[in-house]
Amino acid sequence: MTSKLKIWHLIIAICIALLLLNYGLVIKTYSLIIIYLQILLENYPRAISQLGFSLIDSFASAILVVIIPIFVYLLRKRVKIFYVSLNFTSAAIIILISFFIFAPFAASSNPNFQQNISETKLLPPFSSVEVIHLNKNEKPEQNLIGKFYNLKKEVVKNTFDESIILADSIVFSKVATIYQKGNQVILPKDTILLSYGKPVITKKLFLFGTDEYGRDIYSRLVYGARISLFVGLGSVTISLLLGLSLGFLAGYPGGFVDTIISRVTDMFLSFPAIFLVILILALFGNSLFTVIIVLGFSGWMSLFKIVRSEVVSLKQKDFFISAKMSGLSEYRLLTKEVLPLILAPVVVNLVFQYGSVILAEAALSFLGLGTGSSYPSWGAMIEAGQNYLTEAWWMILPPGLCLFVTLYAANNLGKEINLIFNPRLKG
Amino acid sequence: MKKEILQLLFRRIFTSIIILFLLISFLFFLLRISPGDPSLKFISPDLSPKLAAKIRDSFNLNSSLVDQYKAFLINLVRGNFGISYTYRMPVLSVIKDYLPFTLIFSSISFLIQILAGFFLALFSVKKINGVFDKTISKLSLIAYAIPSFVLGVSLILVFSSALNLFPSSGLSSFDFSSFSFFQRLSDYAFHLVLPLITLSLSGVAVYYKYLRENLEDVYNNTFVLNLRAHGFTEREITRKHVIPNAINPLISVAGVELGLLFGGALVTEVIFGLPGMGRLTVNAILSRDYPLVIGCTFISGVLVILSNLAADLIKVRVDKRLLKSTLN
Repeated sequence: MTSKLKIWHLIIAICIALLLLNYGLVIKTYSLIIIYLQILLENYPRAISQLGFSLIDSFASAILVVIIPIFVYLLRKRVKIFYVSLNFTSAAIIILISFFIFAPFAASSNPNFQQNISETKLLPPFSSVEVIHLNKNEKPEQNLIGKFYNLKKEVVKNTFDESIILADSIVFSKVATIYQKGNQVILPKDTILLSYGKPVITKKLFLFGTDEYGRDIYSRLVYGARISLFVGLGSVTISLLLGLSLGFLAGYPGGFVDTIISRVTDMFLSFPAIFLVILILALFGNSLFTVIIVLGFSGWMSLFKIVRSEVVSLKQKDFFISAKMSGLSEYRLLTKEVLPLILAPVVVNLVFQYGSVILAEAALSFLGLGTGSSYPSWGAMIEAGQNYLTEAWWMILPPGLCLFVTLYAANNLGKEINLIFNPRLKG
Repeated sequence: MKKEILQLLFRRIFTSIIILFLLISFLFFLLRISPGDPSLKFISPDLSPKLAAKIRDSFNLNSSLVDQYKAFLINLVRGNFGISYTYRMPVLSVIKDYLPFTLIFSSISFLIQILAGFFLALFSVKKINGVFDKTISKLSLIAYAIPSFVLGVSLILVFSSALNLFPSSGLSSFDFSSFSFFQRLSDYAFHLVLPLITLSLSGVAVYYKYLRENLEDVYNNTFVLNLRAHGFTEREITRKHVIPNAINPLISVAGVELGLLFGGALVTEVIFGLPGMGRLTVNAILSRDYPLVIGCTFISGVLVILSNLAADLIKVRVDKRLLKSTLN
């Protein structure tokens, strides 16, 4: 039972949808890129000093959102992976990865965007507020740097925007009267932005509602996918390196070294890893990178056991002995002779490891020892939502669902990879 | 034979003790080299410097690391884990208040996991790819992927906050002292329904998955066909031949799981505000209560090792051929 829809359909659909929904932003980003390149040619120290993470992020996603669909379309026949049929698992993985890459376009605002908190806090899903745009009194800038700054303000989403006011309803006659939760503000005509004699009023939709600080939960979910993927990939890489090298180190020479490393592994296994992680994070402080490193260091044991036992049994095989006799270095032996043979169990283990790391990160954030408050992590969102359990269920359910879908997809992916490597398991 | 078992058992216990010792020493040094001073919490800025120095001396954190370690080891051999900083009681008596709850709670959860997983697997193997089998298999995949804290919070949301069926936290009602014995028992049970579901659901899914696969494999063996041809009833075949063969790989998994459960069901305890070892350990870590951290670690390490050992002994009892490979 294979569906006609393939992965490449979904990738192209996502990119086109993002392009259509954000065509204004994409065009602005491209003109910003052109201005930036001009500045780079004229005055490159100035240009370099302007470069920040959010700017690179916007540039990269603007370029990728155009390039990726073209490449996928051209390469779809040659690259086998684009022809994997679409099901729940692969769709969830593709959507998560596209959140990761295109976060500036997929999210509707900065994850930490807060304005008129009393107006926007704890709004239910699908609610929207009116937005009145204020007159910025800006004259069109002539020089390049001025143009760059003006455009950058529009492209890079900020945590605060002084040119708008959010309100329940807006009445306009000569002056604009703004109603905000029992609060009435009158704005004179010259402060608001007019087009054809009428104020510019738009609506801001909160797809999944807002949290206790009036931040858009949907945008936080999108950026939370970044944190989760980043933490997962980072710590799985650390576990991979540790598990492989220690496993080879213990299994290859055997004897005394083997005993010591195995006993140390037993020691770590005899204590629930989560407590060790909490201990280290609590004692030495928690941040994004300490979380990644500590989770990476806490997950190498199962990989070590797999690699060690495989190496011990491979050591006696003829091909390995002949490779050793022909004088290959130990690094070569590991990469050329051992790795290709243990690839299957290692990859499967890594995928499951990835799921458990994401779960551990969320649990740590839930306990207040996660990546810190400057990053919107799914676990931290659930932890915050616990205090508003009776008033705002939408603070818990969307991040909980995201976590569940990610874990489910990771587990299924691991199982499917296992089936590809061991076709006999198929019943 | 018996002598051999005893010898292996002795060796196993000896290595376990060494592992525990290494673990605790590792923790000791980790705690001591970490930044921060636990004695600062007890020193008010109004105190005279002399008194402050006296308090700081009473923690014995100023002496050299080697001296501290020596004192620690001597106390350890005497079975003295020191006095908890926050509770101001000997560590072991603090743990004594929290351990029974964890032991009972995790044992019940463990039993639920094993029994539910076992019977669900047994029923779904009766008719492979039937409706029951397919739904339970799909549900077990879902149950396995739900993070426990998402499940716990959602259960509170639905059953405590919206439907008002079960209490959301604590172990007993506030008028607990006026209850009779049976009322107390039912009160405990009432409070533990949601925590037990939270803690057990993913475990049920794990055991179900393992057992279903194993049972299916064993049913496909030729000896089952042979037994059927000889006219044994299906019931007899399942009970006497299939289950003993299928259950063996599960025992070591169960041993590891039980050990981890005894370490404390941290997230569940935090969500439902239960007085267990997990919360005690984490609170000790967060408040830099060094003696209590080491005591909790020691106890949970002992429990992990004991449950692994028990699992291996049961495994050997079921299949005597495994004697050498498991007890090493």
